[in-house]
Amino acid sequence: MTALSRRDALQLIAAAGGAAAALNAPAFARQGDPVFLDYQTAAANDPWTLIVRDAPAAGFDSQAELISGQVPDGFAGTLYRNGPGRFSRQDWRYRHWFDGDGFLQSWQIGADGVHHRGRFIETDKWQAEEAAGRFIVPALGSVPPQPGGLTGPDDMNVANTSVILLGDELLALWEGGSAWSIDPDTLVSQGARRWGNGLDGVPFSAHPKREPETGIVWNFGQDAPGARMILWKVAPDGRLLDAGLLNDVPGGMVHDFVITEHSLVFLVGSYRFDQMRLPFIESFGFDEDAPMVAIAVDKNDWSVRRTWELPPGFLFHFGGAWEEADGTIRLDAALSQDARFAMAGAYDVMRGQAETETDSQSRHMLVTLAPGGRSRIESLGAGYIEFPQIDPRLTGLRRNDTWHIAWDADQPRGATRIERRNLHTGAHDAFDHGPNVYVEEPLFIPAAPDAPEGQGWILHTALNANARRTELHVFNAGHLSDGPVASWQLGYACPFGFHGCWRSGGQV
Amino acid sequence: MMNTMKTLTKTLLSASVLAASLAGLSVAEESRVGLTLEIAGVAPSEGFVMIGLYDSETSWESGNAVAGTRAEVSGDQVVAVFDDLPAGRYGVKMYHDVNANGEMDTNLMGIPSEPFAFSNNARGRFGPPNWDAAVFEVATDGTIHAIRFE
Repeated sequence: MTALSRRDALQLIAAAGGAAAALNAPAFARQGDPVFLDYQTAAANDPWTLIVRDAPAAGFDSQAELISGQVPDGFAGTLYRNGPGRFSRQDWRYRHWFDGDGFLQSWQIGADGVHHRGRFIETDKWQAEEAAGRFIVPALGSVPPQPGGLTGPDDMNVANTSVILLGDELLALWEGGSAWSIDPDTLVSQGARRWGNGLDGVPFSAHPKREPETGIVWNFGQDAPGARMILWKVAPDGRLLDAGLLNDVPGGMVHDFVITEHSLVFLVGSYRFDQMRLPFIESFGFDEDAPMVAIAVDKNDWSVRRTWELPPGFLFHFGGAWEEADGTIRLDAALSQDARFAMAGAYDVMRGQAETETDSQSRHMLVTLAPGGRSRIESLGAGYIEFPQIDPRLTGLRRNDTWHIAWDADQPRGATRIERRNLHTGAHDAFDHGPNVYVEEPLFIPAAPDAPEGQGWILHTALNANARRTELHVFNAGHLSDGPVASWQLGYACPFGFHGCWRSGGQV
Repeated sequence: MMNTMKTLTKTLLSASVLAASLAGLSVAEESRVGLTLEIAGVAPSEGFVMIGLYDSETSWESGNAVAGTRAEVSGDQVVAVFDDLPAGRYGVKMYHDVNANGEMDTNLMGIPSEPFAFSNNARGRFGPPNWDAAVFEVATDGTIHAIRFE
């Protein structure tokens, strides 16, 4: 998602009127919503569809059951995960997976076991629609029947993409508007994060990066129609250090970025802003003639940038990056040749379907951005990958490993494997949970602050569709193929999340 | 940053247009009716409500108000009166100039950071509503139209 400036937004008015008129409420009422009905039909027989179930409005609270292994000694903390959790109201269902209201989950792990909690993020949108009992606000990929208006992007903010800890504050992140402040102990929403300085409501994207040496958090927000970005620099305690505009950035859908010691690095894919439409995601199209553009901005002087042109492509997520002495940047990412998942696969999921033709085909690639505009893209391995994660102590620094989920072309319903790949040697290690256990983002947690690189735990959740239950698994990060060190199971299935973060120690 | 903000502060509810109207550009000799705007939901209780009145789709779209006024805020309700208007169809754009700086403040990305509203309580999507949604009839003297800041 992308922020809309007023200037550009004016162009949308005519289109908005048309879209509203095209949704004929009486016809919908008479025939039923086809997307809702398709999902109902699929869900009746297929537990995989639980990945996009509606979470209960009151959320979840329960003790998870240990089903194998045991908690590693001294391993304690809370895994927070965020993702869309509400997709239908009044028998009408969102069209696009990314539309759902943010649903925050916590898995509190300690000597007493694992406690699971889920709460909807009480955005302005959630509160208004919960009170009305129906969807009102035009969403990223859907316009509900009889839609209301918008006064700004935060009216449609679902805070559904990611979550980070900033000082003592938990922030639920989206990419078109404000971060949403959450109490990390109770998961109670505290409202949009206010920065002052003319920055309230300015987009704060879902993948901030923390410099390990300083704790400084960098982030960006995008205004694709305006072909610009905002850059954020935030102190470890959440104080704003700096923010400003970066102009002349092609209007692609930019979801993630990477940092190095010296640079902020963006890859603007070929999924580009075309013209303002509703739903907003239809403002974007894949331009197979548009090169992917890499932009490296000097951390210390945002007016200094280097750019590279790469073959057309698209991505959601990076692993990490580092910069060499001569300024060469190396980064790894889950790159695709097109944006078919955003444009088609994420719609299929909402109907309870998954097709090979519309599945993401993101592959693990190493991208080299060399001086003089030279670049190279190399494959790091066969098969498809997503949700790459790294040892956070090496954010922006040369490192060895990336952990990610992995699947093959005949698995459009999702990944069942987690893998680790060494970027330099190609060595890899994997664990496959087997059919019908669909895995989510694997988060790396260092064994200790001063433990050697890569020594730690991999924590990931999964839908066990055989059992119709969500599970939590802990692995030794260096020995995935040994299988989980410990696994827990809930008495229910949760909707899939997208991204998570970890708070060490403490009791909730 | 500030320079950039200024360039971003553009046309949704142009303070300069309102100021021009206030300077006496508009009211026609042949005006026959009066319009009272009853404005609710005004918060915080400070600053001014800046109001632009439009008499056609053209004036609405271009932002060229035919009349404008500002009403000092005291409490959560404000009344504004336009006298001697030609009977006809009108639309209202207004914003709450909370800090009384004469501008509709926006954030760095150009998104309004002060409350705004339109006649018929019409709401746009990513911008002001269109003329058809905001237009209302001022046919008789003493017409009252209510608008609420959400």
